Amino acid sequence: MKKLLIVDDAAFMRVSIRNMLQNQDIEIVGEAANGLIAVSMYKELRPDVVTMDITMPEMSGIEALKLIKAFDPQAKVIMVSSMGQEGMVKQAIISGAKTFIVKPFKEELLHKTISKVLGV
Amino acid sequence: MTDQYHNEPMLELFIFESMQLIEQMEQLIIANEKFESYDSDAINEIFRIMHTIKGSSAMMLFNNVSTLAHSMEDVFFVLREDKPQNIDSSQLSDLVLEGIDFIKVEIAKIRNGDEAEGDAAALIESLRVFHATIKAQNYTVRDQEMKDTATSQGYSAPKKQQYYISKVRTEPQSYSSSFQATLYFEEDCGMENLRAFGVVNDLGDLVKEYYHIPADLDHEDSAVVIQEQGFTLFLKTDRSLEEIHRTLSQTIYLKDLQLTQVKNCEPFEDLHEERKILLNDSAKIFASSSGERITIDQKESYSSASQQSIISVSVAKLDQLMDLVGEMVIAEAMVTQNPDLKGLELNNFEKAARQLRKITSELQDTVMSVRMVPLTGTFQKMNRTVRDMCKKLNKDVRLELIGQETEVDKNIIEHISDPLMHLIRNSIDHGIEMPSDREMKGKPRWGTITLEAKNAGGDVLIIIRDDGGGFNKAKIMSKAREKGLLQVPEDEITDKEIYNLVFLPGFSTNETVTEFSGRGVGMDVVVKNIEAVGGAITADSVPGKGTTLSLKIPLTLAIIDGMNIKVGDSRYTIPTTAIKESFRPKTTDIIVDPDDNEMIMVRGQCFPILRLHERYHVNTLVNNFADGIIIMVEQDDQTLCIFADELIGQQQVVVKSLPAYIKHTKKVTGLAGCTLLGDGSISLILDIAGLFTVKKTG
Amino acid sequence: MSENEAVDSEDQVEDTQKGKFLTFCLGNEFYGIEIKYVTEIIGLQPITEIPEMPEYIKGIINLRGKIIPLMDVRLRFRKPFREYNDRTCIVVIDIREIPIGLIVDSVSEVISISDEEIVSPPSLNKEGNKYIRGIGKVGNDVKLLLDSGKLLTDLEIENLENI
Repeated sequence: MKKLLIVDDAAFMRVSIRNMLQNQDIEIVGEAANGLIAVSMYKELRPDVVTMDITMPEMSGIEALKLIKAFDPQAKVIMVSSMGQEGMVKQAIISGAKTFIVKPFKEELLHKTISKVLGV
Repeated sequence: MTDQYHNEPMLELFIFESMQLIEQMEQLIIANEKFESYDSDAINEIFRIMHTIKGSSAMMLFNNVSTLAHSMEDVFFVLREDKPQNIDSSQLSDLVLEGIDFIKVEIAKIRNGDEAEGDAAALIESLRVFHATIKAQNYTVRDQEMKDTATSQGYSAPKKQQYYISKVRTEPQSYSSSFQATLYFEEDCGMENLRAFGVVNDLGDLVKEYYHIPADLDHEDSAVVIQEQGFTLFLKTDRSLEEIHRTLSQTIYLKDLQLTQVKNCEPFEDLHEERKILLNDSAKIFASSSGERITIDQKESYSSASQQSIISVSVAKLDQLMDLVGEMVIAEAMVTQNPDLKGLELNNFEKAARQLRKITSELQDTVMSVRMVPLTGTFQKMNRTVRDMCKKLNKDVRLELIGQETEVDKNIIEHISDPLMHLIRNSIDHGIEMPSDREMKGKPRWGTITLEAKNAGGDVLIIIRDDGGGFNKAKIMSKAREKGLLQVPEDEITDKEIYNLVFLPGFSTNETVTEFSGRGVGMDVVVKNIEAVGGAITADSVPGKGTTLSLKIPLTLAIIDGMNIKVGDSRYTIPTTAIKESFRPKTTDIIVDPDDNEMIMVRGQCFPILRLHERYHVNTLVNNFADGIIIMVEQDDQTLCIFADELIGQQQVVVKSLPAYIKHTKKVTGLAGCTLLGDGSISLILDIAGLFTVKKTG
Repeated sequence: MSENEAVDSEDQVEDTQKGKFLTFCLGNEFYGIEIKYVTEIIGLQPITEIPEMPEYIKGIINLRGKIIPLMDVRLRFRKPFREYNDRTCIVVIDIREIPIGLIVDSVSEVISISDEEIVSPPSLNKEGNKYIRGIGKVGNDVKLLLDSGKLLTDLEIENLENI
């Protein structure tokens, strides 16, 4: 089973993503509420894929992405963005994000994105 | 959207989190407004809150909330990035608070299961105008980062190609082959221009020279072009067609890919001069570290939860847990006090039972403590009330909060928030004078309201003190006379009794009904709400100096220390906190007045007696005072002697409310609920305050 | 997906319970109540009286930690009170998540009555009639089918009348 780490400061989004993946063949190994926690959780849990919110307290998703990629260049990170964040999405792509998903998104789109990133 | 969003827990979480954020934001605004400027931390925080609410509400399809949050986010983005000077922070606060109110109202609708159909168009327009004003101020000093945002859409920057231009310009070389690729993305994937940018980025080193249509991937319009016509890429490389195909087909959200080898390099010829694009491989910085393969850490037994020290739990679950612990307390009593054990000497059993009792009681304490919430949130909310009232009434009031860390059961907090708000409105509206009047009286221009909480035994005291004009005794008296609310002879009434007349149903001192305090809901509603959680309110006032209102609220509703008593076959429980003493009465101390009211003399004082069996029509053999017991109870400075058959014993009881069916049928005065005793029988919990009213009317 | 299953099984439960009635008697009359409302049937329990209640609300009982109010159906239908005996039963029903125990003379059986066998009650008759939603004919017997919702909701109206 593939392991996923959810990073979002909003509990609502974390639960949304968790719910959407309920019947999928994915194990959610952790949830982080900011970039700082995300980086340390990534190192500890070594998930196969990460969903990463961009705007978060303590450390933004972009910075966390950079640190995660520096630690593990193979890291597969999906940015969770929303309209108005084009500039940051671009930075994320340059910094090595696999892809991004735009809020609001549907369950199917999230499934597709994750399976594609995992190369299933 | 799909149904999974509309299932209850998601909606609950959305409401909970959004309300929490909104309240946090409200505090930030009010705190910053006082200094007439927003500090950068607050701006960051508000930006993030609006961003989160925008995202969550969009996921839930509450588009009006999402759009409004977006426009507020835009404003704070400019504040954060441009740091404009001389902004009208008062106007900003008004706008944002209006936005907060809108969102609150919509969330309330959502909570009630109504359609969130509010229209925020006017407000969004005001925010847009404000946004434009603060932006115009800083147009010239706008920095590079600004371009990366959608807020600057339509603004084309001359240096836009910065990401495409290589730091090292290499001379045109000839490569073995040229390809033309057209990529179509799946619908709904969003931000197609950036998806295309990602494609180019992924090609990285494989490609040395390329050109694409549309050329400008920063512009949002390109997204539409790519959506409709696909993304066309011309590239020169020394790699094979297969290799390029493999790379391109890994593109996520790729719907269709056409890749052909092109003979001539025409597309490139025209562009050599003006659009020589070489790849700036920013991703390279990571390539250096990719050499070392990191072995996968197998220590996955770590709990990921160890990272989170706080989780949120739904109140329903806590209530359930509380119920279960309550059951357990009863079950424990049923086991350890089981009648089958009578007369047996069981040392080991006793030991184990003691241990069980200890654990049960610790468990109970822990669960209770989990339910305790500091009053901070409730107190902080009052800042907004004060602010709005002052603005409308042109008064100047400072709110001082003391002891907001005091904790109260979650259920109780919910019940006291509205009454507190109402009392504070009252204080500002009726208590605090206009600044000019205050100056004339030699007081500071601004009034002060102190909201204080402190623990007092099993209760929490909440005190609202203002330094306003105080109650007008004469006015209260004439009003009470007029409404026929006086029960005590006028020459005997004390000042305190006069002040407390305002809590009687149908009383309101202000002749003119103001927008804030006279909306039909008077003090009696406040009193009802507070009494509903077993609390009480009293008032005291010094003319010209101010008024003090004291609320006494129980710490918790769920478990009380109670004395169980017996009347006939019925059992009753009296909260221990209300009991002063209990004793077997001497017939000689009993006094009967001409109206057949029974009283008892205790240490020279005379107290009324309430025969519980008569009051509740219970058959009992104990009719003579000498055969039964008197329990003296006190509430709000009133004392009553309850006559019952006998005391059963004191224990902690879990308060259960009477079944809904019973409550709908009739509200029995004097009954607060019921509880289960160790033997499985039910005991009715007496509401002492209720018994006083019973005594008066009956 | 699991939700769908839950819905399915709920449907099945509804299906198997449809047309089934628990019958009990009050004096010489047989009554039926839809089985889907019935949670359990228990013998008489020690009752805790609640003061100031109408006569037909006998009080409350402790059913494994849950407090359940009791209604004497005889008194509810303004029939004379009959002393409880060992045949007296409490039928615990749950209507719109409000549990309530009905005290009846005795419980007889669970029977199926199809919609065709149910006729509307004659309009003006006795007091109890407003709680009857239909009359089921089973062989030669007649069962009065209770409108459980009305048993509870009618209360408010009566309360108003009392005031």
